Amino acid sequence: MTFLMITGRTVNQGVTVEDKTSAAYATETSTCFMHEFDMLELGLADHDTVRVTGACGEVVMRASASVEVEMGTVFVPYGPYANHIVAAGTHSTGMPDFKSHEVEIEPTDEEPKRVHELMEDLGGLAYDR
Amino acid sequence: MIVKDAVCPFCGCLCDDIEVEVEDDRVVAVTNACELGTTKFMGEKRLKGPILRDGDEWKDITCDEAIRYAADMLLSAERPLLYGWSGTHGEAQCVGVHMAELVRGVIDNTSSVCHGPSILAIQEVGHPGCTLGVVKNRADLVIYWGSNPIDAHPRHLSRYTRYAEGFFLENAFRDRKVIVVDVRKTETANIADEFVRIKPGGDYAVLSALRAIVQGKTETIPRTVAGVTREQLIRVANLCKSAKFGAVYFGLGLTMTRGKYKNIRNAIELVSELSRHTKFTISAMRGHYNVYGSNEVNTWMTGYPFGIDFSRGIAFYNPGETTAVDVLARKECDAALIVGSDPAAHFPRRCLEHLADIPVVQLDPYPNATTAFCNVQIPVAVTGIDAEGTAYRMDGVPIRTRKVLSTDYLSDREVLSRMYALMQEAQER
Repeated sequence: MTFLMITGRTVNQGVTVEDKTSAAYATETSTCFMHEFDMLELGLADHDTVRVTGACGEVVMRASASVEVEMGTVFVPYGPYANHIVAAGTHSTGMPDFKSHEVEIEPTDEEPKRVHELMEDLGGLAYDR
Repeated sequence: MIVKDAVCPFCGCLCDDIEVEVEDDRVVAVTNACELGTTKFMGEKRLKGPILRDGDEWKDITCDEAIRYAADMLLSAERPLLYGWSGTHGEAQCVGVHMAELVRGVIDNTSSVCHGPSILAIQEVGHPGCTLGVVKNRADLVIYWGSNPIDAHPRHLSRYTRYAEGFFLENAFRDRKVIVVDVRKTETANIADEFVRIKPGGDYAVLSALRAIVQGKTETIPRTVAGVTREQLIRVANLCKSAKFGAVYFGLGLTMTRGKYKNIRNAIELVSELSRHTKFTISAMRGHYNVYGSNEVNTWMTGYPFGIDFSRGIAFYNPGETTAVDVLARKECDAALIVGSDPAAHFPRRCLEHLADIPVVQLDPYPNATTAFCNVQIPVAVTGIDAEGTAYRMDGVPIRTRKVLSTDYLSDREVLSRMYALMQEAQER
């Protein structure tokens, strides 16, 4: 199903932002907050894993029911998971479309990667696993 | 020892009433700060010393070696990028600008991926803003547009708006109305007197509709505008016009969506329209601690607030071309110095793929996502905790921050000054 992905700050993301190698940061930034009817449509229970595919790649996240988002929209806290699929075009403003990204979401059996695994996939070398 | 009136080093609110209890050079308790600030003060997972990537391993190196590495990297690069700067003090930002000019590099700060579009709009139509104190004491209407302070600036509501006392308001909690405009029904929306839910991407249309109503052209408004009913739009416009003093605070909900700086321009023009009827101001909810300072310092040193390219020998500014995401995505820079930010966590993947291909030096106290792309990382004192200097609050007020404890870590300014001295020496030779 096609959704509009919006990214943004959450308290839990802010609290763990200086501890990016922690499991808490990975958990928060790999959470895909969805409307429960959309989850029903996709046959998802809370905390099931989903494959989120954007214009330039895919990433596995965990779905979480939220009363904040409308149907057709998903919210993902700022971080390496959302940015793994966000395109770099800025329409001559310097700013990518962090809050208006079309994505495809489908259930998957895969687990979300750790932050350092995402970085290593792109050519980095993790320091503190 | 208890340090009173410490300044919080997390967000642009720069709350200056924090009490920090320090024992044996460790922060053991924090009073008055929000969860974000408390965690930052209490953070202990720092890198012990500089590290160098050697193939598939990390090696410890000395500070002198790390600084020499960074200076050599910048000197030998043809088009270095110097990025970040919002998590550090004005004094360090100054050195950064000098370094960028010396090596004819591109210097950009995190505002290009937060309120950069707001600045573009302000450059077009100006900024009718005011300090937070004016809003606290006078505003009887506050609008949060595309901003969720409960999560991003948790004390903004208690220090300046919803839950704050106001000198010119008899009963601030009762007399001050709060309107929240958002695509999500956030926690902040739950405490608003009026919540306006917009369909994603509809901000520009709703702002235009409100401008039309304020101009008296109500008959032109269709039944709904981007999911907002005509009745609600009229109610909101009337609330604005009947306020004695209104304040709009907008967040990244406007800068990161479709329309980007045009949304902000429309919001500013709504505010100037409202100011024909009453007093109205508008300001950005600046996120990163001293991001406002990075715009100030860059502007008074180069004439431009972010995305400055010195490759021509003079300062050149063209957002979309000279901004960090674009420079990285076009694979244009051949070295990067990162200070006080974590682009690997916050930039699109294409930018990271290029970071992996070029030499990168980072100044940051903690191991973060960018560490994985570093050739060298130099841990520094945490600005506002064990390093002091000047930071600008979100309303443009510069605040001298003190350190609450002493450590052996060098500050960003000290490391950068030593780097710059080496670079000057090499240039003179």
